[in-house]
Amino acid sequence: MSQATIERADGGPAPVRPVKPPPSPLLIGGVAGALVATVVAGWAIDFSLAPVVDQWPMLTMILEEVVHPEWEEITDPASRLWTALAETAAIAVIATFVGSLIALGVALLGSKVSAPPAVYRVTRPVMSVIRSLPDMAYALIFVAVVTGPLPGILALTIFNIGIVAKLTSESIDAVDPGPLEALDAAGATRWQRARVAIVPQVLPNYASYVLYVFELNVRASVVLGAVGAGGIGQLIMLYFNRADYPRLASVVIVIFAVVIAIDLLSQRLRRRLV
Amino acid sequence: MSPDTATRPKPPPKWPYTVVGLALVAIVLVAGWSLDNAKWERLPQFPAEILQYAGQMLEGVLTRPGAHPEGQADPELTYGDWWLQALRLMGESVALAWIGTCVGALFSFPLAFLAASNTAPWFLRVPVRTFFNAIRAVPEILLAVIVMLPLFGLNPMAGAMAIGIHSIGSLGKLTLENIESVDQRPVEAVTAAGASWWQRIRTAVIPQMLPETVAFWLYRFEVNIRASAILGVVSAGGIGALLNRVLRGREWEWGGIMLVVIIIVTILVDQISAALRHRILHGADTIAVAA
Repeated sequence: MSQATIERADGGPAPVRPVKPPPSPLLIGGVAGALVATVVAGWAIDFSLAPVVDQWPMLTMILEEVVHPEWEEITDPASRLWTALAETAAIAVIATFVGSLIALGVALLGSKVSAPPAVYRVTRPVMSVIRSLPDMAYALIFVAVVTGPLPGILALTIFNIGIVAKLTSESIDAVDPGPLEALDAAGATRWQRARVAIVPQVLPNYASYVLYVFELNVRASVVLGAVGAGGIGQLIMLYFNRADYPRLASVVIVIFAVVIAIDLLSQRLRRRLV
Repeated sequence: MSPDTATRPKPPPKWPYTVVGLALVAIVLVAGWSLDNAKWERLPQFPAEILQYAGQMLEGVLTRPGAHPEGQADPELTYGDWWLQALRLMGESVALAWIGTCVGALFSFPLAFLAASNTAPWFLRVPVRTFFNAIRAVPEILLAVIVMLPLFGLNPMAGAMAIGIHSIGSLGKLTLENIESVDQRPVEAVTAAGASWWQRIRTAVIPQMLPETVAFWLYRFEVNIRASAILGVVSAGGIGALLNRVLRGREWEWGGIMLVVIIIVTILVDQISAALRHRILHGADTIAVAA
């Protein structure tokens, strides 16, 4: 590339092309760090794509079975599949409802707009500890008390409180301070401020977060059954352990359809809300 | 007309909220009633039992690492061994989440350009978008069970690839949304200067959407660390498999150590990632706010 020394028609000084800024040391460091992390991580998990070639016949054998699902399982409304799916749906609905209700209260305690400093400084770290455990860990602890849908509901409820409370408290941080000042001037209590000025402002966002965790819950309750916390996950583990791939395939087809349907529905609702 | 009635607006009706609220409560009650095997009567036992388990977990966490736990087959075993083992397996979880995120980023990035309305024609857009939505709809655990475990066996590569493929879907969707929301004016400028499709992407689109996309990659890494715990249950690598075994065996002291390691490492990674994301999105001049 030629340095830009363009001849000007009037013979004045040629404009100089600005020099491209060099990459910042931080950028170089970031890229280098990411590369090192990738190499170390790849070494730690013995990264190798060789099995894709070696084990390909095994995979095609399984896929051969998967493409012939057990349709009877899907067409029979009284099959184990539909019973388990209904259980999964009920778990997701209850956990979303209860978790979101509690989360609204926690969110109000977790924002500096609605809570005194002493309260939100404690609430926020507690919330981040709650969020740091995966839903599976809660389910594993709760199934020790009792198996069935109840531990699944409790695990997802706690998981939902963590997510909805975090997102909502961030929305509360960002509310328009105008109505709050008006209420303060009129001598409102904390509770009145929350009810009249904060909750109405964050309600659309809150509703959209609730729908979002409902989507997550449908996926998660699929998995929870794998540790004995009820729902369709139990069937997945059962058919996987028996290597009953045709039945497993019918489960996959149904989950796939349900998840896509709920995603589309909730996305449409969320777009209207926000 | 008196000024009172003239100026005060009528409050909006409240009945729609009441109707929606009652409908939701009805749905929840029907859901609860349909779970005939839920053993609701056991609910009151939870607080006491969980507290008892938590107490034992705390005991495990607070015991001197050099001490020997009771009732173990190996008399040489110490609490310190449990800590080291938990750390090593959590490291494996983080590593497989990282590799999974890399796989997702590597494939979703070019694909997203074939799916965005301002960079691709409709006959490319529709199939690529459908592909993103389809893989997003399959939970990682199913991907692992059906495809990755037969391919890679019971090891972390299976988990990493399951997470990676799933991440292509979610990262692809977010990346294409980033591409579609770029400012069109630079794109028009380079088009007017006669840029090719590739030059347009390189000089006008990528510089605009790269920071947000990299921030999404980091966020996805945080999500994937949590997902890797689930994959452990089907023995696809990481700390999940042992956690599953230990908690099911009600070895609460051991489980407590593992949970503490998970919490600390997760929060640590979240904080680093949040600081990096903040730096990428807002530059060096502002100060990151701790969560």
